[in-house]
Amino acid sequence: MGMKASNKIATFFKYFVLILVGVIMIYPLLWMISATFKDNSEIFAGISLWIKKPTLDGYRNALNNFGGSINILQAMLNTYSYVIPKVICTVVSACIAAYGFGRFDFPGRKLLFNIMLATLFLPQVVLNVPQYLLYNKFGWVDSPFYLAIWVHCAFATETYFVYQLVQFMRNVPRDLDEAAAIDGCSSFQTLYKVIVPMLGPALVSCALFQFMWSCNDFMGPLLYVSTPGKYPMSLFVKLSMDGDTGFAWNKILALSLISILPQLIVFFCAQDQFVEGISAGAVKG
Amino acid sequence: MSKAISRRNFLMATGAVGAAGLLAACGSKPAASSTASSAASQAPAASADESLALSDGPVNLSISWWGGDSRHAAYQSALEAFQAEHSNITVEPTFAAWSGWEEKMAAAFIAGNAQDVCQVNWNWLYNYSADGSKFVDLNTTSKFIDLTQWDSAAMDACYVANSQQCVPVSMTGRIFYWNMTTFNKAGITEVPKSLDDLMAAGKAFQEKLGDDYYPMHLGAYDRMILMVFYLESKYGKDWADPVTSTLNYTEEEIAEGLAFIKSLVDNHVMMNLKTYYSANSDTATHQSNEWITGKIAGIFEWDSAASKYSSALDDSNKDGFTVGEEIKFGDNNGGFSKVSMGLAITKTCKNVAEAATLINFLLNEEKGASIMGSECGIPASKAGLKFAQDAGAVKSLVAEANAKVMAFTTNKLDPLFENNDLKASGTGIYQEVFDNIDYGDQTPEEAVETLLDGMESVGYTIG
Repeated sequence: MGMKASNKIATFFKYFVLILVGVIMIYPLLWMISATFKDNSEIFAGISLWIKKPTLDGYRNALNNFGGSINILQAMLNTYSYVIPKVICTVVSACIAAYGFGRFDFPGRKLLFNIMLATLFLPQVVLNVPQYLLYNKFGWVDSPFYLAIWVHCAFATETYFVYQLVQFMRNVPRDLDEAAAIDGCSSFQTLYKVIVPMLGPALVSCALFQFMWSCNDFMGPLLYVSTPGKYPMSLFVKLSMDGDTGFAWNKILALSLISILPQLIVFFCAQDQFVEGISAGAVKG
Repeated sequence: MSKAISRRNFLMATGAVGAAGLLAACGSKPAASSTASSAASQAPAASADESLALSDGPVNLSISWWGGDSRHAAYQSALEAFQAEHSNITVEPTFAAWSGWEEKMAAAFIAGNAQDVCQVNWNWLYNYSADGSKFVDLNTTSKFIDLTQWDSAAMDACYVANSQQCVPVSMTGRIFYWNMTTFNKAGITEVPKSLDDLMAAGKAFQEKLGDDYYPMHLGAYDRMILMVFYLESKYGKDWADPVTSTLNYTEEEIAEGLAFIKSLVDNHVMMNLKTYYSANSDTATHQSNEWITGKIAGIFEWDSAASKYSSALDDSNKDGFTVGEEIKFGDNNGGFSKVSMGLAITKTCKNVAEAATLINFLLNEEKGASIMGSECGIPASKAGLKFAQDAGAVKSLVAEANAKVMAFTTNKLDPLFENNDLKASGTGIYQEVFDNIDYGDQTPEEAVETLLDGMESVGYTIG
């Protein structure tokens, strides 16, 4: 057997394994799409993609507007009306906080950094009630601008991102800061003229993570939004899920499918930067 | 034995410390539910508050409920009808599905910004208002709500801390449902009416249809309810005191109940949990292939679950879905009925008279009740039920099941029975007990201790 033939066989097997794993990974998503056209008994009968009795009820019911108070389009608009400020606040505040911890030596820096890291280990569940009481005092519960959901992000409360950016900043040589200082940059100018451009991929990954988490967040909106007209997508999808009397899964799946489309588009647009961002922070400890 | 008691005491102590810590953290008064002295006989019911009156000016009310699509629609059109009748009142609704709803409402009750009228789960009265601090005593609103439309037993269940904290919207209980298509295949034409019928069905299924056909499947929580049903049927006393949650059964009696469940498994009446998990993991019964295709031919479920189970069946089995008969395992009628949900007025409500008028409209008046139909279960209000039936807004399967449950069950439920640490699927004590038995890790006698330890740790008093 010649070299060429064995190469071909090797390539064949590589592709075979890759395609096989790829199909296994994407299968649930394909199944979800096919299940939006099935009825309940067919959905639970098996995992085949084949649709025996196709129905469009799922999509028809997805347009239900709950007595005119909320529809799918409004719910999507509502979602992005707090997700976008949340993402911007998170990125800006996390970047500034990371700059402080990464580049300045001030008294108590280590202690403060440790305290901040400790908050990373606080589960959201224990914060729910105290936070709710606090925001209730502020009058932010059911605020038309979703204040309780996003304002806290302006204060670098998303520790995970601060930590990620501090690690990433270590890879940016201090020489650049010094060069900037010699050229007459103030601390803030150094940050946004020198460091932020270098941090690009890391900031994109922060923004993407926060975007996905915020779109998927259910408990936050459930606690702080009470007016049906202001419900975001995560609440809207679940409105019909009454475990007691049962519900049509095709509607839920159709809604879920529609609601993840914008997320998929955003992800694909930022994919290259995103993957770079994740791996870049990991190389140097 | 001494070891067992010390372990239980330890659990009780840690439970008490934990509970005290929680209460302190929330800044509310410590009010253990078991001490809520709510026996209806202790104090005379509060009389109507004559100072309550409807206002002529514009009034804003808010209401909250959980449910699915059809319930959201029913409430909303009922609210529209209400506002058409009372043009000065505007009602703002808040609604979602059940999951997460209790957390939302708990936070709102603590913060004092819950809606004026709330659809409440029965155990919330004990969990959040055991001292009567959250909900208005509806006896004071009798000018606006016709309280005579409910059975006194149903009303008493909502009487906590000397206060009528809610009115029951509907009552529910467990009953058997059978897939008669499969039963017919096994040569059985009538629904099982006795324990002997059940055992005979197990045998017939195994012999005629094969090892993978079962007359019934029950999950762990269902088994617990059936076990209590059996014991109550046999001994004629409530599982635990409905106010103080003091257990009324001895270890020997409970061991007998657990052995009864095991005998159903051993005689092929019920599927072994191990077998069920290996095919379905923790998927609910109505979503399992065995139920859809008729290999599991029976369940013991809430009356309100009828449509969920019947609509899940495939076409060849759909017509066989039948509401069964309650089974008498001893000299008494077993089983309990419970308030499945109620409507309450929060103490932060500023327009109690209007809120009470709204509740009366939804539950007792023709316009409201005929729209609400059986969307929140079969109406517990007598007038409401009549109007809903006249309007043809009652699901017949559920109505049939509910009527059978209500006619049969006499026992009362205690507020801790449905505690999440006990009933949670996957992690609850009930699950642990029945898993241990089915996996052969514990005999029924040994499992009693696991059960009692768990019950004691959530606050049961065990004699």
